[in-house]
Amino acid sequence: MAVTVATRQGLRTASVAAITTLLVAGCAATDGNGGSDGGEQATETITSCGVEITTDEAPERVFAAYQPAIEMAYALGIEDRLVATAFINNEILEEYAGAHAGQPFYERVPSRETVLSYEPDFILTSAYRLYTEEGIGSRDGLAAIGVDTWLSAVACPDADGERMAELQSMDNVYSDLRQLGEIFDVRERADELIAEFSGTIERVEEAVAQANHEPTLAIARPDSDGFRVTGGLDFSTEIFEMAGGRNAFGDLDVSGPHTVSTEELIKRDPDYILVDTCCGPELTPSDAEEDVEAIMNDPALANLTAVSEGTVLEFGFPDRWAGVRAASTVESLAEMLHPDLVG
Amino acid sequence: MTTHAPSSVIATSPAATAWSRWSRFRRWFAEAVRGQGLLHGTWSRSTGLLVATLALVAIALASLLIGNERLSLHEVHAAYFAYTGSDTDLIVLHLRVPRTLVGLAVGMALGIAGMLVQGVTRNPLGGPGILGINAGAALAAVVAISIFGATAVIGYVWFAFLGAALAAVVVYAVGSIGAGGASPVKLALAGAAVTAMLGSVTSAIILRDRASLDEYRFWVVGSLGGADTAMLGHALPFIALGVLLAVALTRPLNALAMGDDLARSLGVRLGIVRALGGVAVVLLAGTATAAAGPIGFVGLAVPHIARAIAGPDYRWILPWSAVLAPALLLAADILGRVIARPEELQVGIVTALVGAPVFIYLVRRKRLAGL
Repeated sequence: MAVTVATRQGLRTASVAAITTLLVAGCAATDGNGGSDGGEQATETITSCGVEITTDEAPERVFAAYQPAIEMAYALGIEDRLVATAFINNEILEEYAGAHAGQPFYERVPSRETVLSYEPDFILTSAYRLYTEEGIGSRDGLAAIGVDTWLSAVACPDADGERMAELQSMDNVYSDLRQLGEIFDVRERADELIAEFSGTIERVEEAVAQANHEPTLAIARPDSDGFRVTGGLDFSTEIFEMAGGRNAFGDLDVSGPHTVSTEELIKRDPDYILVDTCCGPELTPSDAEEDVEAIMNDPALANLTAVSEGTVLEFGFPDRWAGVRAASTVESLAEMLHPDLVG
Repeated sequence: MTTHAPSSVIATSPAATAWSRWSRFRRWFAEAVRGQGLLHGTWSRSTGLLVATLALVAIALASLLIGNERLSLHEVHAAYFAYTGSDTDLIVLHLRVPRTLVGLAVGMALGIAGMLVQGVTRNPLGGPGILGINAGAALAAVVAISIFGATAVIGYVWFAFLGAALAAVVVYAVGSIGAGGASPVKLALAGAAVTAMLGSVTSAIILRDRASLDEYRFWVVGSLGGADTAMLGHALPFIALGVLLAVALTRPLNALAMGDDLARSLGVRLGIVRALGGVAVVLLAGTATAAAGPIGFVGLAVPHIARAIAGPDYRWILPWSAVLAPALLLAADILGRVIARPEELQVGIVTALVGAPVFIYLVRRKRLAGL
């Protein structure tokens, strides 16, 4: 696998990918079972976060949950195989609005029974939470009734169900695309997307490598106890780094949104505060306007760099995730952080 | 030495001495709680109250100084008298001081509300948290925010009053069903059941509507972390009104403590006293919950401590509760700020941790069951 990556993305990424593969021990590995040519009829076994998926033929009835997975399916052009979708945090990307309009859609993750009533043969998601009792049940249980399950490599959980720091990488986004390309027999489309994203990111990374400063960013939303921020295990930390910045709360060892006190935000004083809104299928970044104003007008925050510089900005909730939005987010953030280098 | 009785011989071992001292202390304490209180006479009670007030001032000061970053007295002073707009100036003026003042107001409101509930219902297990009043106020505020789009405290405080009143009525009605009327334990059970029910409705609304209720934890576990001056300004008039009512009710409550018949013969109009007491409780507990979320145990435990110290006279229990409750709440809030640094533990969690043992102690002591 590492060799395939090496030919596509250059040596530096290849070594990162190899290390990642070693660390996660097959979490996102693809094994060609019938020879390296990978012919149309060959039996493929794919391992998705430790669960094997056999794909003699591409799934036909797919249930997709959570925005990154749903948008990835649209980007791969497999919307005709979806039977239903559930849970998006903000409005779907404009280019997929047409594909999404035709889907049965649930604002919240429906019950296990509802999902099974669509008789899916495959479930696609980017959040481990779906495969817990809070969601629709374990992957083993679904496998027992003949439903294959797939989980984004970025979201492979550790023993406590938490995200793992070493998996938060763009290489795992590429491996996700490659796996789905195999499973759904759309390898070419997957390769196109990988080439497009890695091209963008390589260009940005090369440019920001010359930067002599590393601005700090925080995704922060006012909350009754202080601010909800995203910590180190959130993919935004990786995105900020690729864009030549740093997550001001990157040292917090947490995956989900996390509340810190107002005093802590003042202490960290990020150069940029990105304000997002969640969760609803009609929400757009501009719905964060009220919260941006609240931050700008809060007398306690008057000394923040981001407030005095006017760099408290509306931000799309899904833009920071490991998916098809990541590359363009990296690009636009880099343009904002290093306008002299990227553009 | 040889003439000592066997029990005294045993008592000479250090552990046994400690144990017998502890037993004596317990007897003395239990006597004090049941009887006239630890402090006797006007002079010692007033002096004690002065000392307690000084302790409250010290805790309030600590609340200004201790936090994410430790501040010095000089920095707090400078924020008012040598304002330069520095980070510490802003933290003192806009975060620490409002938080401390809201803590004082909310603590006082909860303590006095607890005293009123216990006095009016003559129920030692009474308290705005135990009887579902805080949970009712929180649910109503959540409904106001998610359905009617209320945003400021002033917008949902009225809903909080309504929720507090409805919860109180429902708990009292449910607790009165069956033989024996509204006995303390039945009321506490009804309160627990209603609290659980209201809490799950609150959670259900919150889970469905995270967009407008991002601060959802706030309505499940109370916190002072979001306190600001505007909130304090909205809450103060209601709390002041509630406190005034409570002061006016102290004499009738003393009469009520002697039993309905005796109180009536002393000229107390029971209906009016109960109604006014209810209004005051709803004002105090509703405002406290609207400002800081549901906070348990302060309203339950503090009046008992006040009674143990100052005796059964409500004219003494009221000021002691008004001083001890904010002291306890602020101390719990400070603890929550330091034990999980750099994060904060919500004050509602800390008071529950501290208060639960007190509750168990009260339930186990049958003698307290008749106030």
